[in-house]
Order: sequence, then C-alpha cells, then structure tokens
Amino acid sequence: MKIELEDTLDQLYDIEGIEACMLYRIDGVPITIRVPGYREHLLETMFWLEKHISRVLGEMNREGLKETIFYFRNNRILIAPSSRSTVLVTVAKAEANQQLISLETLRATKFIEACVT
Amino acid sequence: MKTGRTLTGIYGLDELMDGGFRKNTVNSIYGGPGVGKTTFALQYSLFGLDRGEKVIYVSFEMSEQQIIRDCKDIGWGAIKDYIETGDLKIVHIFGEDLEFPSLDITEIIKKSSPGANPRIVIDPFTYPTFYSDKEKRKSISTIFQDMRAFGTTVVVLEEPADGATATNYGTTGDFQHMNRLLSTPLYLSDTVLFLQNLGFGEMYDRTIRIMKHRGSKHGEGIYPYSIETGLGIVLRASKKQIDRVMPKTRFDDRFVQAIEKTKTMGKPGQKIRVKIESVRKNWVHDEDPQQILELVLGEEKKSYENRA
Repeated sequence: MKIELEDTLDQLYDIEGIEACMLYRIDGVPITIRVPGYREHLLETMFWLEKHISRVLGEMNREGLKETIFYFRNNRILIAPSSRSTVLVTVAKAEANQQLISLETLRATKFIEACVT
Repeated sequence: MKTGRTLTGIYGLDELMDGGFRKNTVNSIYGGPGVGKTTFALQYSLFGLDRGEKVIYVSFEMSEQQIIRDCKDIGWGAIKDYIETGDLKIVHIFGEDLEFPSLDITEIIKKSSPGANPRIVIDPFTYPTFYSDKEKRKSISTIFQDMRAFGTTVVVLEEPADGATATNYGTTGDFQHMNRLLSTPLYLSDTVLFLQNLGFGEMYDRTIRIMKHRGSKHGEGIYPYSIETGLGIVLRASKKQIDRVMPKTRFDDRFVQAIEKTKTMGKPGQKIRVKIESVRKNWVHDEDPQQILELVLGEEKKSYENRA
C-alpha cells in the first residue's frame, strides 16, 4: 500500500467528529480502516457496509450520485466512490461539522484515486 | 523466522505468513481465471530449483512444451535447464486417465519424483476433485495425507468464472453442487491463498488474501500484487500491514505480571503459564492485553478454586 494512501486516511481520521473511516473495494472487501479500537456499533456498521456496499454503489451509479449519506443511530455514514474499484466511507458523529467532513471526504477521494490508478 | 518453513518464493508474501508454508503441508492457491495461479505455482517451483531443491510438477492441462514456452515469455527460460538436469519433473496427465485419483496421483508423484522431500505442484487440482464426487472428502483427504508425507505441496484450485465462489455460497442446485466440490479441498488444505482480480487495472484489483494458514500467525488484510516479467508475483504490503503481523514486546510487563499471578494457582498454574508465555511471544496487536489476561486468569482461577 502506498504511504500517500495511508497518510490520506490518517489525515481524514484526525478531523474532529470523524469516528471512523474505511476504504473499501467495490465488492465490499475492506482495504484499510481507521477505527478507535473495539466499538460494537461500528462493527455493525462495517458488517452492513461489507454486505451492501456493492448494491449501494450500483444505485449511486444509476442515479449519477457522487456521495450518499445514511444515518445509523447517532452516526452519519458518508459513502463516496474514490475510483473505479474503491470507495471511501466516513462515519461521523451527529454533532460534527457535516459540511467540513463532506468536503474533506470528497477531497480525500481525489488523493485516493491518484494513488490507486 | 520459524524453522520448518518452505519459502514460497513470492516476493513480499513470506513475512506475512510467519516465514512461508510449513514443511510437509498441502497449500491451496485459489482464484478465478487470469489471477496468476499458474505463475504462483511456477514461481514456487523455480524458487526451490534455484536453491538446489527438487520439484515435481503435475499438470492436468498444460503440456511440458506449453509450460516451457510460458516460462520463457515471463523471463524464466532457466526452467528448461532444470528439466534437462532432472531437478524438475513435469508430468502431464489427463484427468480421464485417473481411475482412482486418490491412489493414482500419489503413485504418479512417487514414481516420478526427482529426489527426496521435493516441492510438489498439482495444477489444477480441480479435475480430480470433480472426478471423485463419491466419497470425495475421503478421497481428497487421502491424497493430501500422502502428499504431506512426501513433500511440501501447492495445489491450484480454480474458482468458476460464473461467480459460484467457495466464499459466496450459492442457493441454486448448480451453485450448491459447485460449492460442495470446491470447498472440500479448501477445508482440507493447511493454507489457502485467495487470489482475486477485479479487472479495472487499479491498485486493489489484484489482491491476495491469506484465508487460512494452520499453526501460524498471518496477515489478515488484502494485499495488492502485480505480476512483473522476470520476477513473477510481487506483493506490495505496506509497512503498517507488515507491522501488524510482527510480535509486539511493549506489553511484556503485563504478561510478566500475569505469569506471577499464576504462581499462586498450584499445578494448573504451570499450564496457564505456558499458555500466557505463548500469547506473549505471539502478541501482534497494538492493544493492551490486560483485559484478555484478566479474563483468562479469572476463568482459570474460578475453575481452580472449584476443583480445590
């Protein structure tokens, strides 16, 4: 894995309010994750993502969406495709600055795309 | 690195697999078309040959000439020399010629072996798997048992191109049948490496996953790889990924404290000490082991007190 890719994830994870960020392959296989140790609700979210991410991406592709947001309990899950085969997911707390997180996530997708293509 | 290991010869893989395949084991390379299964098998063979080992390559599809030609194309022309010196024996057989796969495969390998404790490759193992549907598990188990006694084996398993993967259990009759056929050798293998290629040409399209590696700690991520002419398969795991399989010593004091506590537990304490010592040597996590140690000591103490 390229160092730039790890750094991009690290920088995103450092933003206040982001509880976790994960880079998935489009078939739902996690490539790399940043999580604060064991959290049951995050584990549930990750299981859900692994199972449904390819279907969500299919729908996004059909609708021409650049990002999709789901709300699970107190978390806001932002799904943003980062290249043809990868997708970036950020899990943010409800009270976090959502606009900043959206912008930073989309910015990170550009770096990831440059790394993996 | 542990002793009793056979290096895979795949650049970057051994450090994620506790030093390579364990000696005298059967190791499956599983994947769809075009992921590099045969390249893996040839690279494994050539790595051994370059270090004076003997190799027997059982091919159910490609003839000796085809293998030589493919090797030349990828920059491994030396394979012809090894065939001439007798260090490498390629056996090309058809699945139809096997009357009793569990006996025939072993016999063929024993008869053709160029030396003691060789590297063995069966490429692909899918055909005999299909052939021996009845009593399949016993048959494959017998083959694998014989292989283990004979050398360190790599078997290539083909994932069907229609998506009926062993990890993606189907529901229709055909899929279930396919899964039954494919999953048995995966369960019986000592190591399973899953090669994938999504086909978008990006970094994470070609990946290796170590699905199992008996008796060894191993990386649990997905690792991107590329196939380079002249080198073969090259894994590109990050430092962080490699670090995750390296034992950590910074929690040693926790383990020492736990070992001290076992000393008050009499004879059962000795057995727990061995367990804790083993955990200490293989602790690869960044997390503090305190919670786990407390749990283990608490449970063990409870059962010790009950017995007392």
